[in-house]
Amino acid sequence: MAEKLPEQMSDYQHVPPEIVNESVGHADAKEELLDECESIWRQMEECQSKLTLLGTETLPESDAKLSLLMMRVKALTAEYNQWQKRSPEIISTNPDVLVALGKEELQKVKNGLEMVLSTVQSKNKKLREDLKREQQWHEEQQQIVDVLNGIEEEMKNQVVQFSEKRAFQELKNKMLKLRTYKEELLNALGEFLEEHFPLPEEDGSAKKKKKNSSEEPAVELVTLHEILEILINKLMSTPHEPYLTISDSFWPPYIELLLRYGIALRHPEDPNRIRLEAFHQ
Amino acid sequence: MAVVRPFDKLPALNSAAVLLVGSDESLQQKLAEAILKEKKNFKISIHLATSLPLPSERDHLRPRIDLIAFMIDIKSKYSLKNVEASLAHVDASFFLGKVCFLVTGVGRVNYCSVEMNAIWKLGEVYCSPVLYCELELEGIRVATAQRLLRMLQICAGHIPGVSALSFGLLMRNSADE
Repeated sequence: MAEKLPEQMSDYQHVPPEIVNESVGHADAKEELLDECESIWRQMEECQSKLTLLGTETLPESDAKLSLLMMRVKALTAEYNQWQKRSPEIISTNPDVLVALGKEELQKVKNGLEMVLSTVQSKNKKLREDLKREQQWHEEQQQIVDVLNGIEEEMKNQVVQFSEKRAFQELKNKMLKLRTYKEELLNALGEFLEEHFPLPEEDGSAKKKKKNSSEEPAVELVTLHEILEILINKLMSTPHEPYLTISDSFWPPYIELLLRYGIALRHPEDPNRIRLEAFHQ
Repeated sequence: MAVVRPFDKLPALNSAAVLLVGSDESLQQKLAEAILKEKKNFKISIHLATSLPLPSERDHLRPRIDLIAFMIDIKSKYSLKNVEASLAHVDASFFLGKVCFLVTGVGRVNYCSVEMNAIWKLGEVYCSPVLYCELELEGIRVATAQRLLRMLQICAGHIPGVSALSFGLLMRNSADE
């Protein structure tokens, strides 16, 4: 019984109030609905009076759950039976009522559709804005790509130029280094020759030798350094004719030294001519 | 009348009444305001009480109560004691789906001073749903108000085909699984 009440109440409350108001001109329709309402209300009052007869019942301290569960079983069974018995209610066949109900339904649908429309419109607007933003973004990205491509091109050119320049510079540096190294070597060689193979002097052993080997003191002697230079230059400048005629200004012991150690070679037919061994080949 | 009964009065047209029972009046007030702000197509009356029973001298002014929400603050032991004491003044048939326990302060479990187990047991014994929320936070307060409003609509019989009992059963099943 207790659960019957809310159901009836929901029925009662679902007679749209505007129907009652709208159909002022249609007295019979209004009358019919009011009658229906009255009968439902009477039913409810009946249930209500039965309910008030039931005493209040508070839950016992102990076993509250059990008694509550028992109550629930009863109530659910009653509700179940109620649903079983219940048959769908047929709404009034009065055309005015039907028209009013139809209008109300249509109004509801219209309201719903209006809501959908506005939602869709706002969504469209948002999408349009999004699209615009995305397009702008895309454009900006495109610009960035273009600029970056330009920079890349520039960089490429620079890199090529740069590497050519650098290679050139490197070669130059190497050459300079080589030159200085060559200079160093020449100097060192010159010093070595000067120190260890000096010109025969008046009071050196060379002087004795000189005195012994040649009587003409008139000829100015050249150093071993110079002899070697002449030999090298001859070989380098005229490789086809590298031979050099031994002159008086060459001190014979040095010539002997060069020949003995394989630095210079004698001409196979002319013993007065020598050349430098071809070390560079 | 010492005991609150669910069907002691005839319902009013297109209206529903909820009774909030809790010791923290400012929280009750806030929740009531949140409920009133919600859009709805029926009249709602919210009754606030710190504890039950309700004073009997104003009983004739009171509408039929469709839903009782017992508010428990997990930060206050007293709020739980208060609710436990008040439960004795509720008619047993109210527990057929028209009672819920609203546990607030869930956002600050470190300040919890009641046993959560006791609250859970309360819901279990009285076969009523326990809603956890934090009424101090506006967003959750609004959501809780919406939940209560929905429950109230069902309890007042505004939703055809769903009774408070069957709804309570639904809530229970979902909570147990």
